[in-house]
Parts: sequence; C-alpha cells; structure tokens
Amino acid sequence: MKKHGIVLMAIVLVMSLLSACSSGNNKEASESSGAAGSGKKELNILMESVPDTDFVKQVVDKFTAESGIKVNIEAVNYASMHEKLVPQLLNATSSYDIIVVDNYWVGEFTDAGWLEPLDSYIARDKFDTSVYSKSMWNMVGQVKDTAYMLPFYNYAMSLVYRTDIFNNTDLKAKYQAEFGRELTLPDNLEEYVNISKFITKENGNSMYGSVMMGLRPDPISVEWLNYLFSSGGDFFNEDGSVRINDANAAKSLGLYIDNMKNAAPKGAAGFGFDEAFNVFAQGNAASFITYNWMLNKLQDENESKVAGKVDVAEVPGGVSLNGGWGWAIPKNAGDKEASWKFLKWVESFDIAKERALAGGSPTRNDVFTDSDVLGQYPHYVRVQKIINDSHMIPIIPQAPQLIEILGRELSEAVSGGKSAQKALDTVAKEIAELE
Amino acid sequence: MFSVKRKQFLIFFVPSLIVLAVTVIYPLVYSLIMSFTNASLKKQGFGEFIGLDNYIKAFKDTYFIDSGWNTIVFTVIVVTLEFLFGLAVALLLNRIKRGKKIFFTIIIVPMLITPVAVGLIWRLLLHPDLGIVNYLLGLIGVEGQAWLGDAKLAMMTVVLVDIWHQLPFMILLLLAGLVSLPGEPYEAATIDGAGRFQTFLHVTLPLMKETIVVAVLFRVITAIKTYDLIYVLTKGGPGTTTEVISYHIYKQAYTFLNTGYSSAMSYLLLIVIMLISTLFVRVSRGKPQPR
Repeated sequence: MKKHGIVLMAIVLVMSLLSACSSGNNKEASESSGAAGSGKKELNILMESVPDTDFVKQVVDKFTAESGIKVNIEAVNYASMHEKLVPQLLNATSSYDIIVVDNYWVGEFTDAGWLEPLDSYIARDKFDTSVYSKSMWNMVGQVKDTAYMLPFYNYAMSLVYRTDIFNNTDLKAKYQAEFGRELTLPDNLEEYVNISKFITKENGNSMYGSVMMGLRPDPISVEWLNYLFSSGGDFFNEDGSVRINDANAAKSLGLYIDNMKNAAPKGAAGFGFDEAFNVFAQGNAASFITYNWMLNKLQDENESKVAGKVDVAEVPGGVSLNGGWGWAIPKNAGDKEASWKFLKWVESFDIAKERALAGGSPTRNDVFTDSDVLGQYPHYVRVQKIINDSHMIPIIPQAPQLIEILGRELSEAVSGGKSAQKALDTVAKEIAELE
Repeated sequence: MFSVKRKQFLIFFVPSLIVLAVTVIYPLVYSLIMSFTNASLKKQGFGEFIGLDNYIKAFKDTYFIDSGWNTIVFTVIVVTLEFLFGLAVALLLNRIKRGKKIFFTIIIVPMLITPVAVGLIWRLLLHPDLGIVNYLLGLIGVEGQAWLGDAKLAMMTVVLVDIWHQLPFMILLLLAGLVSLPGEPYEAATIDGAGRFQTFLHVTLPLMKETIVVAVLFRVITAIKTYDLIYVLTKGGPGTTTEVISYHIYKQAYTFLNTGYSSAMSYLLLIVIMLISTLFVRVSRGKPQPR
C-alpha cells in the first residue's frame, strides 16, 4: 500500500511537471492560429488608473462605432502595472493588444524586444510624428531611431504654487525687511528653499513653504531629480560614466534635505504622492513640486480647497524632470493591425484635442497651441516650455533598478542614516555595477 | 484488479494529490532549481547553473543581513506583545459572563480586514498633518508625531499597526484553548487551597502549553513573512529602517528581476522558519516523562 502510494505520487508529480510545461505551448498554438488574419473584434488595453485614462474611456465608443472593434480598458494601480505587464510580455502571446509604457520602462521593454516597431505602420499610413514635442518623442516615442511608441500623455514636473501666498503683501514686506529683496517666484533652488523656510517660519504649523514627498522609491527620487537637473547635475556624463555623486548633485541634495527638514511638514519624509497632494489641496502648503497636470485637479473645487488660488511655473532653476507614457503594441499581441488602427485613431489630432479639452495632458504641439485648448487652459503655454526644457530619466533597461537604488539612498540621506555625499557615492557605485 | 479498498484509496487520494502537486510541490521544486541558477525575469527559462553562488551572495549582501535583523526585531516585539496582550484579553473574556459575544465581535473586526486595507487606513489615520491620531493627541496637549516619516519611530509605528491587526488572532486561539480546558484540575486546585495566581501559574499555563505554542508559532511564521503592511506603510523606509526580509526578496524578484537570487533568499527564509517550527514542536512535546 505504502509502496503504491509513493509510486503514484511520483507519477502524479512527473505528469504535473510535464503538463505544466506543455500546457502553455498548446495554448499559444491555438490562440495564434485563431487570431491570424481573422481580424480582432475586441482590443484589450492595460492602463493606469489616472485621469488621462478616464479621458480615453470617454472617447472609445466613437472608435467602436467607426471600426466595429470593441475596446476593453483595464485600469490598474501604478504599483501593480509592471508586475502585470512583464509576465504577459514574456509569454508567447499576450492578453493585451495595446499597452501603455511609462518612460522608465522604455529601456527595459525595448531592450528585451517586447515592443513592436512602429516605423512600417507610420510610413505606410503617413502618420505624422513630427507633431510631437521633441522631448516627448525622444522619451516615449523613438529609441535609437526606431519608433516603438506614440506619446500618450506627459507628466513633466513643475512648481505648483499658491498665487495668494506669493502675492501676500504682508509676507512680501516681511521678506523684504529680513532679506533685503523682493519675495517673488524663485528662479533658483537656493532662493526657493530660502522662501520655503521663511513661509514655514512665519506661519508655524498652519502653512508650510513647500510640501514634499520623501517616500521611497519613486516619490523621493522623482522629486529630488528636479533639484539635481536644476542644479546642473545629471546621472551620466556624455561618455557614459556616472556623475550622480559630483559636486552639483551633492549641493542639490543638501538643498533638498534642508527644505525637507526646515520647511516641509513634519513627516513629509514618509509622504507619497497622495499625502503630499492632500496637504496642498487642503490649503496647508504654499508650493509643491509635482506633475503639471495636477493643476487641473487642484483647480477643481470638488477635489481641492485651493481652487482658483493656484498656478504652475517651471521648477526653480528651470530644468524639471520630464515624464510621460507612450502607447505601444506588444510584439506578442494577437492582431497588430487592429492595435495600430486604434493607436492611429486615438492619437489623431481630433481625438487628441478632444481628450485635451476634457482635461487630458497633451503631447502634440498642435494640440498645445490649439486656440480652443489654450482658451480653456492658458497655462499650457508655460507647460509646453517646461516640457521642452526638461530632462528625463535615462532610457536604459535598468531604469527601475536605478530608481530603487536612488530612492533608498536619498531616503537614507534625508533620515540621517548617511551623509548626502556618502548616499550619492553609494548610488554611483551601485549604478555602475548594474548589469 | 484493484480491491475495493484500493479503489477507494485511489478515488479519494489522487485528486488531492494532483492539487497538492500542482499548487505546492511543483512551485517548490521549480523555485529550488531556480535558486541554483542565475535566472532572471529579463530572459526566459532557468538561466545557467551557478551552484551555491546565490546562497553565498546572500550572506555577503548587507541589505539582506540588515533586513533580516529588522525582521527579527519586528517579529520578537510583535509576537511578545501580541502574546501578552492576547493572553490578558483572552483570560478576561473567559471570565466575563455578560456581553461576551459583543466584546468578542468588536475585538475580532481588525482581523477580518485585509493587510493592504489595514495599511491604507492607518496611513490616513497617521497622516502627521491631516490624520486623526495627531489631532486627538493635540486635544490633550501632546505634540503630534511623524509616525511613518521619522526613522526613529517608523518601526514602532509598523509594530503598533501590526498588533492592532493581528491581536484578535492571538485572542481567538488562546480563548479557544481556555474554553476547552477541563474543569476537574481547577476543582482540585480550589480544594487544595490554591489562590488565583497559583491556579493560573500551575494549572492554566501548563494545560494551555500546546495551545500557546501553536498560537505563538503561527504568529512567528506570519510575522517573519510580513510584506503587505510594509509595502503599504513605508516601502521599507525611512532609509532602510523598516525594510523586512520578505520585502527585500520581493524587490530582488520584481524590481531587480533576479529570480534566481530571490529564490535562494526565499529558501534561506524557509529553512529558518522550518528550524523555528521544529524548535517549537520540540518544546511543546516537552521532556519525556520518566517511566
């Protein structure tokens, strides 16, 4: 009896191992033969649950009416997107026909060969890609002269600030008396941190000069990168050597820590995007380095107490972190023609404009400068300049790892676990070791 | 060909064996093989066989060691406090006659919430500027704290949230043990003139030994594996003060894509958990009685 049991167990184990190995292949074979040339009637898209996705959802019915192809949008939290995408892209077939790619996955996805090159589709259908802002196209459009994506929306960072605080005559007079110069929108980081600390000092706990987000890895990394770029620093030299621990970088981290400790709300070192946003939306902070599209949310009376009292400017120092998403077709998608049909449609001028008017964040220059769009969002003149002047996280396969390392070390420096220089030296060392 | 008994054996045993093989044994064997390779999510398949390199790397990895240390601190504190509070509450609930069900229902609520939701709820409550915890502290004149943003406080905050979440589990198990205790030893103790404390020490605790071992062992295992609460509350920060081992392994697998290395670390964790479990089981059996 015992012997039989063991034999049986061994047979079941071997069979289960074999069946698990072969089942994937059978599935692939049947799916690919079913999809070939048949013309898909449904497209599945994986997107992030953000406002821009909602604006796409609002227009897709038009596409279905025009083409007869149903569009299913699965919107998930950012944190679970990468984990959901990678296994799908590794499979022989993907359950997603279209995906959206965050700029810091671009290097990884293109390097692994997971995205369908779009050049032949673009050339055949004469889709004009010159309409895109150059910095967007270089980030979430082409990689090494091959087009893999169409830029979907931008999230370049900017300085969102309270107009009523920066124009407060009482504060202005006090600042003039204390520092001998006018309180205006700062054009460099030293002045920004100085003003920030001054506002916090003057207003105690009711109003902070700036709200910051020190949660690792993404919030703290993307926030500090504005300080880095605006101080003349960067990740790499032109020859590819690491320069993230040079004097400019150390200076910018010193300013960042100073602002975090002496101007930002207590506990900002643990804030993520939502916590920081809520502090600003509740009217407890004078400035916030954040995504430019946040302005539309902050101007919405249902979501913020500061509607009508906020505006957007470039990050002090003038060079912010660029960010954006691109539409892409997975190489293992079922019917790439149907996918391209949707991409071409959703990024056409009319639909891109419609999404922008609903509140979407544009990537096309012709949408940015469109009179209807500008009439509704006059600050897009500034946003367009912010995007053009911004820098991006390097397009390398290791970008997610780079942000993880950076976030950990910045958090160490902010929490006092390491000196700024030592933290940056660790970042430089570990980035150089990344495979 | 088969006797009736054997047919019954096959009918009842095979389905569960198949389920077990597919869901438990297959992943275990797969990840064990993977732990000896340089497998990465960047490439398909197992990668190359590299022997014990991943295991050796883990012992040299200061982040792995540090996160291991954080895990030990976290586990020891939460399990000790949860056991002490849990036992106290269970004894109390066992004694009260009226309203027991109401108390019990209220106490058990946190356990029914998923860890991610617990994390999100507490992130809101503990917001230094807008959260209710600091607001209430302010009303009684206590200065609000940066619960999750202060490197000195963050681990303690995570511990408190975990206790809030997991204490009901401890109460539930210990109370079940208390309720099922036989009445005779207590009667004997009363006749012998034992006081309440003496009865607790010499009757209740020895009788409860196995229940306590099971409850503590369960919590030690789940505390060592804590991941979701850290993911939502601190992401391991500020700095690396709350980075626990499961979170570190997760990042190696899904951010750094080193599935081979993360499998090796998972196996090291598994070995530690198995050693602890064996130790607990030995303790619960106690020394053999002299014949």
